[in-house]
Amino acid sequence: MTIASTIRTLLAAALAALLPAAASAQHSDTIDIEGVEIVGHRPLKQIGIQSTKMDSLVLKESISLSVADILTQNTPVFIKSYGRGSMATASMRGTAPSHTKVTWNGMSLNSPMLGMVDFSYIPAYLVDDAELYHGAGSVGVSGGGLGGAVTLSTRPADEHGLSLRYVQGIGSFSTYDEFLRASYGNDRWKASTRILYSSSDNDFRYTNYHKIKQPVYDAEGNVVGSRYVEDRNRSADFADFHILQEAYHNTRSGHRIGLAAWYMSSRRGIPKISADYRDDSSTRTRQNENTLRAVVSWEKISGSFKAGARAGYTYTDMLYTYSYDLTGTGEQMREGIHSQSYVNSLFAKADIEYALSDKWLFTADIALNQHFVQSIDRSVIVQDGSSAVIGYKEARAEVSAYASIRYKPTERIGLAACVRDDMYGDSFTPPVPALYVDALLSKRGELTLKGSVTRNYRYPTLNDLYFMPGGNPDLRPEKGISYDAGLSTHVRRQRLDFSAAATWFDSYIDDWILWRATPKGFWTPLNIKRVHSYGIELRASLSVTWSQDWSLKASGLYTVTHAVNHGDPVSVNDASIGKQLPYIPVYSASATVRLDWRKWSIVYKWNHYSERHTTSSNDLRISDSVQPYYMSDLSLERRIATRPLDLSLRFDIRNLLDEEYETVLSHPMPRMNFGFYIGITPKFRNAAAGRY
Amino acid sequence: MDFGATEPEPIYDDSLGLFITCEGNFMYGNASLSYYNIEERKVENRVFRRANGADLGDVAQSMTIHDGRGYVVVNNSGIVFIIDPDTFVITGTIEGLTSPRYIHFVDDGKAYISDLYDPRITVYDPRTGSIVGHIETGDHPSTEQMVQWGDYVFTNCWSYDNSILVIDTRTDTVVDRIEVGIQPTSMVIDRNGKLWTITDGGFPTSPYGCEAPSLYRIDPATRRIERRFTFFEGDSPSELAIDGEGGRIYFINKDIWAMDVTAENLPAKPIVQNTGTIYYGLAVDPLSGDIYVADAIDYQQPGVVYRYSSEGAEIDSFEVGITPGAFCFKRP
Repeated sequence: MTIASTIRTLLAAALAALLPAAASAQHSDTIDIEGVEIVGHRPLKQIGIQSTKMDSLVLKESISLSVADILTQNTPVFIKSYGRGSMATASMRGTAPSHTKVTWNGMSLNSPMLGMVDFSYIPAYLVDDAELYHGAGSVGVSGGGLGGAVTLSTRPADEHGLSLRYVQGIGSFSTYDEFLRASYGNDRWKASTRILYSSSDNDFRYTNYHKIKQPVYDAEGNVVGSRYVEDRNRSADFADFHILQEAYHNTRSGHRIGLAAWYMSSRRGIPKISADYRDDSSTRTRQNENTLRAVVSWEKISGSFKAGARAGYTYTDMLYTYSYDLTGTGEQMREGIHSQSYVNSLFAKADIEYALSDKWLFTADIALNQHFVQSIDRSVIVQDGSSAVIGYKEARAEVSAYASIRYKPTERIGLAACVRDDMYGDSFTPPVPALYVDALLSKRGELTLKGSVTRNYRYPTLNDLYFMPGGNPDLRPEKGISYDAGLSTHVRRQRLDFSAAATWFDSYIDDWILWRATPKGFWTPLNIKRVHSYGIELRASLSVTWSQDWSLKASGLYTVTHAVNHGDPVSVNDASIGKQLPYIPVYSASATVRLDWRKWSIVYKWNHYSERHTTSSNDLRISDSVQPYYMSDLSLERRIATRPLDLSLRFDIRNLLDEEYETVLSHPMPRMNFGFYIGITPKFRNAAAGRY
Repeated sequence: MDFGATEPEPIYDDSLGLFITCEGNFMYGNASLSYYNIEERKVENRVFRRANGADLGDVAQSMTIHDGRGYVVVNNSGIVFIIDPDTFVITGTIEGLTSPRYIHFVDDGKAYISDLYDPRITVYDPRTGSIVGHIETGDHPSTEQMVQWGDYVFTNCWSYDNSILVIDTRTDTVVDRIEVGIQPTSMVIDRNGKLWTITDGGFPTSPYGCEAPSLYRIDPATRRIERRFTFFEGDSPSELAIDGEGGRIYFINKDIWAMDVTAENLPAKPIVQNTGTIYYGLAVDPLSGDIYVADAIDYQQPGVVYRYSSEGAEIDSFEVGITPGAFCFKRP
């Protein structure tokens, strides 16, 4: 019997052992599982886990923000964004976008084809809870999170009775955001409908330093100089529509039943790069996506026992087109590229938690995903009037089983061990173990030491295996080993709350899947890269309430990430070994300060990314790096309470210092721009104040 | 370097030289032009940007020099830059193109520009600097290289195609089609007036089919295939080149191979052994016969160009821009 199969057997035994224990636990009322904590605010379930929880104030700050913006400002995650309405992917601790696992209400959001998540499609207003799990902490969420994991979820509104909330936003570049939430709730039932529509021409002006200069003439028509052209951000319009329906029911016998269904329809232009000389009507690249996600959930808490089950479905169709018009008028567009993909995924998950005493907690879950995927690239063969489809059609089942044991031998020490095993198709990853330790060094200031270690695996995506041309069915799972350790402190006073944390991380990823060119001109994925990633994450936050009128909240982050290529050289001239991976900043920082005075709030946000190399060899002689930038945003909000309704008026200034910058080569970002938002919350009888 | 303006710097080199067009990375706009002084063995990188204070653009595909002017075709910028080959300064542009690949001068008054997506070849008049027409290519939307034999220009259709189109330059129309193997990548004409092309054979699982790649010798007068040299299935021959006398052809098939145009069989031994990389570009100096081979390494760092003698002895190697793909020789 191999080690892998032994651990799988142990895992199955642990699951089997838990079930009767859990069943018997239903009859005991000894421990309240939701109250199991080590000391103060250190839940047993969080032993040793490095995580960052986004509070609802952050998520509901502005209708115009996506989860990408929230992660950028509030976590060490590096978001590679092409601007609002364009792709935004995450890199955590120097890893690739596919190494950050993301769930929504427990269901995976990572594309089974690409492996990654485009966070620009997730408006923050549709998320009620968001938490980032760093490194080994991700094992409890999903396998394959070599960088980490993000959990996003919705939950019942707090209000009883009928409540409404409407937000209208208008911003620079013909940007409009509209949001409506209607909810109704009582002790047993809660229902909510959220609708969000955001659209923009997104055609901001910028000085184009990439294109050739244009001559400047004097009054007599003589050329007296030259200057860079003032260009527009072209073909970057977007229109995203979301509707989220939720319903929750708590039975008298303690069962919680929930439904969340989220439909999105997005129509977006892919922005032309700065170095594109073609006019708007001659070529056009667009991406349209329709996605439906629905999850039903059941949960039952009974004393020391908690059980839950979920079932879900995801449908996505995405169409990428590149069109051109030979007349130059834009009226007779012909498609040069027509790439369509369809994803249908079924999801089921069951989980249990059992607190044997206030010292022991057992958890286990098993999740199933069944994907049906079709990738179609047509209109590539048009000879003799015929066309053919280049693509693939595949189905794959994925099963992930997880079990953990958490133990608190003394008041100050917490230990946890868990194991996960993933099956994909007819293959297994090796078991993923993780160990965590948590020690309260000092009660004064809640000085806590946390540490964790894991060996994790990420299996190939369907595109990696089957994409045509180039898919490689012989790929192995990527494997990572990561360690982290950190100190945190939390000081609570009557008018002051201060917390800070410092974490060191160190991880190695081997067999990293990278797409490489073949002699035939297409690209194919191979297990070739080895990366050593290490650094520190610093975080601090302060909350001060001077009086009933005045309060201040401030938070800051500083992250150092060295992500170094330690693979074998491609050839004797390969200069990429020992170099920082492209597009991973070594240094990043952010700060947020919020000052509240009576009905006024002012929020200042600042963030910084250091230089990002665009070459694997970090060479600056033949390709520019993306330059460091410091970004500042400012917003002012006034809340007005009247008898029939609450009003909020908010004015945002983004890129306060009017900085010219790029986040990706040849992709300009907007200079100073503005947004104005009105929020209206009618007051109904028997309705509590809204959460927004 | 701070984000923003780039001040142009004067550069001048009227030597015997070699331009290397470096594609850069698709959608990053970091294509570049390198210039190699053949006699002094000295390379200057990013000469377009340095001379003009602007980027070359996205995916520099090819370059041609005609009548003392250099024409750099920048595929995904949809433009051809016309530059002074000694100062690298822009003297003009050709715009209104969809996805240009190569430019071929029929004579001093007419040039053709092939295109990846536009099912037409653009006809350009260098004397007026304007596009004067288009040649419909019908069901062959993608055209690549062009070579001329008498009044006829031959262009290969690579992408999911197996055709060489024949264009009558007197009427600017496609008059014939030569069917070859799957995906002809490149063409040359030898001293005997024979047209050579090499196919890559497609890829396994392609709905267009997959076959063993081949080298073809074609009689452009009859438009018939005279000889077909078949490679092993799985081989990836490409980048057909020819020496100055037109007596010896060269190509990449993992290694670098040379073959006399009168040979009856494919060569048994390469002229340059592969050093564990994928060669991406190939050219032969028409004067000296020296062989230039481009290595894109991982396509994300400066590429390297190796210079060999006509017999395969290494003479020099130098770093150039990202993804060096094509060459253009400059004569003083």
